[in-house]
Amino acid sequence: MTRQESQKPKKVNSLEKRDMGLIEGVNKDSLDDNHDQDEHSESSESHEAVDESNSSEDEVAPRNTIGDVPLEWYKDEKHIGYDITGKKIKKKERQDKLDSFLASADDSKNWRKIYDEYNDEEVELTKEETKLIRRLLKGKAPHAEFDPYADYVDWFKWDDAIHPLSNAPEPKRRFIPSKWESKKVVQYVRAIRKGWIKFDKPKEEPPFYLLWGDDSSSADRTKHLAYIPPPKPKLPGHEESYNPSLEYIPTQEEINSYQLMYEEDRPKFIPKRFTSLRSIPAYENAVKDSFERCLDLYLCPRVRKKRINIDPESLKPKLPSRKDLRPYPLTCYLEYKGHDDAVLSISVEPSGQWIASGSKDGTVRIWEVETGRCLKVWEIGEAVQHVAWNPLQELPILAVSAGPDVLILNTGFGNEEQQRKIKELLHIGTTTSSNDSDDLSDYLSWLQDEKHDCIRLRHYRLITCSYSRVFLNLLTRESRAILIHQLSKKLTQRLPFKLYGLAVTSVFHPTRSIFFVATKKNVRVYDLLKQKLIKKLETQLREVSSIAVHPAGDNVIVGSKEGKLCWFDMDLSSKPYKTLKCHPKDITNVAFHRSYPLFASCSDDCTAYVFHGMVYADLNQNPLIVPLEILRGHKSSDGRGVLDCKFHPRQPWLFTAGADSSIKLFCH
Amino acid sequence: MEIDRDNNDDNSRRIQVRFVTKLKAPYKVPTTAIAIPSDLSRLGLSSIVNNLLQAVNSEWKTEPFDFLIDGELVRMSLEQFLIAKGISAEKILEVEYIRAVAPRKEEEPSPHDDWVSAVDGSSPRFILTGCYDGLGRVWKEAGLCTHILEGHSGAISSVSVITSEGAGSATVATASKDRTLRLWKFDADDNSDHPSKIRAFKILRGHNASVQSVAANTSGDMVCSGSWDATINLWRTNESDTDGDVVSIKKRKVNNKAEESQSEGEAVSTLVGHTQCVSCVVWPRKETIFSASWDHSVRQWDAETGKDVSDIFCGKVLNCIDIGGEGSALIAAGGSDPILRIWDPRKPGSSAPVFQFSSHSSWISTCKWHNSSSLHLLSSSYDGKVMLWDLRTAWPLSIIDTHKDKVLCADWWKGDSVVSGGADTQLRISSDIFIQ
Repeated sequence: MTRQESQKPKKVNSLEKRDMGLIEGVNKDSLDDNHDQDEHSESSESHEAVDESNSSEDEVAPRNTIGDVPLEWYKDEKHIGYDITGKKIKKKERQDKLDSFLASADDSKNWRKIYDEYNDEEVELTKEETKLIRRLLKGKAPHAEFDPYADYVDWFKWDDAIHPLSNAPEPKRRFIPSKWESKKVVQYVRAIRKGWIKFDKPKEEPPFYLLWGDDSSSADRTKHLAYIPPPKPKLPGHEESYNPSLEYIPTQEEINSYQLMYEEDRPKFIPKRFTSLRSIPAYENAVKDSFERCLDLYLCPRVRKKRINIDPESLKPKLPSRKDLRPYPLTCYLEYKGHDDAVLSISVEPSGQWIASGSKDGTVRIWEVETGRCLKVWEIGEAVQHVAWNPLQELPILAVSAGPDVLILNTGFGNEEQQRKIKELLHIGTTTSSNDSDDLSDYLSWLQDEKHDCIRLRHYRLITCSYSRVFLNLLTRESRAILIHQLSKKLTQRLPFKLYGLAVTSVFHPTRSIFFVATKKNVRVYDLLKQKLIKKLETQLREVSSIAVHPAGDNVIVGSKEGKLCWFDMDLSSKPYKTLKCHPKDITNVAFHRSYPLFASCSDDCTAYVFHGMVYADLNQNPLIVPLEILRGHKSSDGRGVLDCKFHPRQPWLFTAGADSSIKLFCH
Repeated sequence: MEIDRDNNDDNSRRIQVRFVTKLKAPYKVPTTAIAIPSDLSRLGLSSIVNNLLQAVNSEWKTEPFDFLIDGELVRMSLEQFLIAKGISAEKILEVEYIRAVAPRKEEEPSPHDDWVSAVDGSSPRFILTGCYDGLGRVWKEAGLCTHILEGHSGAISSVSVITSEGAGSATVATASKDRTLRLWKFDADDNSDHPSKIRAFKILRGHNASVQSVAANTSGDMVCSGSWDATINLWRTNESDTDGDVVSIKKRKVNNKAEESQSEGEAVSTLVGHTQCVSCVVWPRKETIFSASWDHSVRQWDAETGKDVSDIFCGKVLNCIDIGGEGSALIAAGGSDPILRIWDPRKPGSSAPVFQFSSHSSWISTCKWHNSSSLHLLSSSYDGKVMLWDLRTAWPLSIIDTHKDKVLCADWWKGDSVVSGGADTQLRISSDIFIQ
């Protein structure tokens, strides 16, 4: 193999050599033989020239290595290109014009010298070269040996040709433009001008339409007036195949259980298996199904639903961050433990040093706020529903409602003079002046309680009590009447208002002689001095459970048993300004802070919510309500959670009383 | 294989340290540099130093040490510490060691009849406590009550030792929730087994609400008191009224026994400015009184003029305050949150605390600087813990959690003990705390 391969190129070489020799032979023999050979000779000449140049290259090293670059790029430079190592190739220094002139004058051969820009050198032409140039200038062939008028050699063999080639001259018609063509062009031009020929072809309408295509997307239909595509029927699934997989076939038990279902819950189609298409019976509901489908399409009004693409986050109202609304109660640090049963009510002393609590275990306790120490205990004997401190700091007395009674307790705080006043106030002389209202004496009496050294107000039936700051009066509420008790005169008055429904709770206005009574659905505002109804607030709640008045007096919050909290702006309207649905269970109490813009609600779900409720002095600005914190910690007991909440009067702290018999203090 | 590689890893992370100390002879170790693993924490360092000491002294008892690098206590592993502080581990590290500040002995609790609400350990001869049953008690040592101060009708909220130097007699003041302050005098060297009952020699009336705090000035002739009526009253402590003379009182005392000896005093002056309960007052220098209040402010008063010199607002209700630290100028205060804050009033233009310690989990009831050390302080909290702090680290040096309920009061005693009382009706003494 290798030998053969090595032989082949040898052959080729020898062939080439032979060719070369042939061409050279021709060249030597007949340079001026004929035209065809001329080409050969040219190529051979160039070949020789290359050979010559090769020999000259051997003698002189190429000076210019810049390649095929226009020389005018270097016209103003001192160098002309770069050599192989990247160094600049300097231009030769040009001779002065004067010097060159003088040289030309001196040297007779000077006219033969040419400056070669490319190689940057002067070349002296030889005599042969000048001759060549001269012949070129005259328009002759450059070489003197070339014969332009050589004899014609007829290469074609005419001897044995069957078909003679015509030697006839070209006819004239081949050289003149066609008459009929120009007529046709005129015809076309006319047709185009008249509009007989159109270049934009009308679109062909497809003769078919998409049978299963989406109706709603077909453009021509939606162009018309409010076309609403019918809802598509449900496409058949695997279970409706004639031979579905086994898992689709219901068992006999399942089929039996379908019978127990309601008509509308029962599946409409029960999959069955058939071994072949042949054995499939006719579908018995075919007519019924299509009839119902038609009924659906015909009778059900179709409405187009517009879906708006809005980011739900952007719909939220812009509320200030919680961090900016500090301080507010956050963490529970202190607990007041000692009650044996659910704490039903708490009340904070106006200076904030003590709190009182009433519990289901029949005791009233007073605690020191800062340490959690229980200072005093009164055994009342009955579950204490409500406790309330006197809002006047000078007279630290406590009103307690337990069962049908209201007790007014002397707490024993305050200095000697205050104590003397309290003793005076709480002492009932022999002449009780309750005889002026005859009907009242039946079910209300002022008694002196010896055991606790206090006043006992015996009611027929009592629900709540609250204090007024203005009158030093005590407001107690019976099932059907509202009574005002005046401690200084030991006098009880019945307010001449008609109550619509069972009153739930009542509260005094913080500064004016107004009070609020909440019935199950509404809150009524009465003026005590004018003795008339001022306003009725419609809560739109199912059952009101608690009420609190903003310290400025124009805003009221109402908590309800369905867990909703309503904020009323009394100047704004009798409808709630805002309703907050926050608690999952009953709201048991609501409270406003006296000085901080805070309010809170507590609920049976064992949480208390703290809100920021800013009321602005500017009447045009609506109150700002921001939920702040959910306070947890109480445990549920008997389905009840947090039963009362009160703010500390001076600190942003919240006291919560729980059914788990503890009171917690949440601090900021 | 694996274990070997691990060992190699450990070997590669070694640090050259040299242990130095300012402690005296038995605690000195040779100051040659040694290489120790970098993942050692304070415990490991302590055992190394103990081993070194044992090598020198064969009957050495192990002792916990604390370590300082560049004036900061090491509270994590050495490697973490170096990374956190950006200290190079290339050169030899100088580690200073000090004896750990922690109580080594817990003495018998001294039982009271009710919550212990106040304690004062400023006199090394006795401990004065106030109790919710209205009695003040003087304790010679743990469990040994020498005097019972009888007379208050309400719980005692604060006690203060006025003078204790004299030959045997000591003067103390108590503040109570019955709106009065009482001054008492007793013989501190009395060594009877049975506690003797004492009546106050002076009753100071003038506050309209319960008195929360009392503090005596350095010379002992005045006391100041803060109350729920938002005022601070200054009182004289001399036995007579301002106009009466001492001799006549003494005569009467001879004649009519104890009842007659009680005199009543009125406030010399009243400092008004706080808007809520003044929960704590301190009188560290003759001319200045500091007070902390529920209106979230710390105020500095000029005792002579009664003017409010400066105030710092904190944002939280304050329950306690103490002045101490470097140059006795730092204000430490705690209140209705678990953070003990320390301010430097000399720092101009900022009311931000310079230190905040927040390891407690409930309200802080007391904070007290150590008498002699400017770096140490204690704090007690409603979470039942007393913590000792060093300004050089944010972690507590040690936690005393012997109380079973809220700690209502705490103080240093004799420089090396902590006395604390709380809602578990016990007075606890944790002693043998070494502080340089």
